[in-house]
Amino acid sequence: MLTVVTLPAPASVVDQVRREIERNALRARNGIRLATGTVGPGVGLTPKDVVWRSGRAQLWHYRSEGPRVSPPLLIVFSLVSRSYALDLSPGNSFVERLLDAGFDVYLLDWGVPDERDAANEFTDYVDDYIPAAIRRVQQVSGAETINLLGYCFGGVLTLLHAAHHPDSPLRSLTVMATPVDFTAIGPHARVAGGERELDAVLDDNGNIPASIILQGFRSLRPTAEVTRYVDLWEKLWNDDYVAAYQAMAGWATDHVPFPGALARQSLRMLLHDNAMMTDRLVVGGDRVHLADITVPFLTVLAARDHIVPEPASAPLIDLVGSQDKHELRLDAGHIGLVVGKTAAKTTVPTVLEFLQRFSEVHA
Amino acid sequence: MSDTPGWRQVYDAAEHRVAPPLESFVHSDGLAAAARLGVRVHSELRSQAGGLAARVWHFANLPAGTDISRLRAQIGALDREVRRLNRRLEQQSAAAAVAPERGC
Repeated sequence: MLTVVTLPAPASVVDQVRREIERNALRARNGIRLATGTVGPGVGLTPKDVVWRSGRAQLWHYRSEGPRVSPPLLIVFSLVSRSYALDLSPGNSFVERLLDAGFDVYLLDWGVPDERDAANEFTDYVDDYIPAAIRRVQQVSGAETINLLGYCFGGVLTLLHAAHHPDSPLRSLTVMATPVDFTAIGPHARVAGGERELDAVLDDNGNIPASIILQGFRSLRPTAEVTRYVDLWEKLWNDDYVAAYQAMAGWATDHVPFPGALARQSLRMLLHDNAMMTDRLVVGGDRVHLADITVPFLTVLAARDHIVPEPASAPLIDLVGSQDKHELRLDAGHIGLVVGKTAAKTTVPTVLEFLQRFSEVHA
Repeated sequence: MSDTPGWRQVYDAAEHRVAPPLESFVHSDGLAAAARLGVRVHSELRSQAGGLAARVWHFANLPAGTDISRLRAQIGALDREVRRLNRRLEQQSAAAAVAPERGC
């Protein structure tokens, strides 16, 4: 019996060897750069001004050459990670895209909580910080209303704000990767345990340390850390990939502590009572109902989100009382909603389109 | 022909086999219970050690780490109250400034 073996053409083999040699040289160069930290990723580079601050929180106003869209957009970021994810790097920045589309963009950054934030509860964020930031946006921009956008836990805060303050001057509310059904949140809920376990992991400041939060996220996909390094080795020759890796990997391990009292309240209300689903939300001593949200509403959820799984955020659309409400499901991961190709091609244009419906576009 | 190198294909195949059982184990109720127990034991040991250290420091009439932690928590809570009062004042000032414009 004859077996036919196809051998690669000699020229092709030479090309492959040459390519591998070149790539290995580039790998060595980029590897040395990474190991020595001589090239740091530029993150959060879009020019901005601090227009308000309270405690560790700051309100940033991104500079633009005369916004063409009004009212302004206020973004509320999560409390467990750094907000520069939304302005990761030039060309891969959610904020940059919003500015290019003519929006007047503000971002409420929570800073790094310390012992002065350990006693913070939902009411501090929902009834104090967010309303104060909205007032400041109104003062700076001269607008009567604003579009509000919350990301991840920032989405939870904006939902609670909109529900607790139906008179808040909101033109629309957009939330992204925001959990409401905490029975579907995954392993976090099982490991969290009770208040005794929570108190045991608090640091000397009375907050959940950033390292515990990072370990929690890492445990969701135990092999992801190794795969990340394998991906890096494979594409270490590619300067663009290495720059994006540095920015993204840096952000993914750059968490901030979570206020202890808020963690206790979240554990009781969101995890144990599943209060968003069971309509048992309490903020500042008042009962709060998501059905009281009546402003135009958009929820964006990611089908491959391993941090906030799709079933945890899917029920939201039915919980809010808005007549004009929309849901956008994307084939993306948690941060892929705002970073990378899916964000550039799908999320950002859809969010822009929604916001533009509730905005005036000036020439 | 695939551009993916052979070693990468081997890794991907191994990862696909290893990841699901590993995830199941890491996300299992048994490991969650063990983690909670570990946290409790660690906390208890830390508390015992802290109590012992506090007695030594107090014997020398010096504040212990737990005293400092308590003080920091009190300062933190006080700072929060002041911040909340400040924001309430800002809110009332803003409302007062708007009221005359509206002729109320």
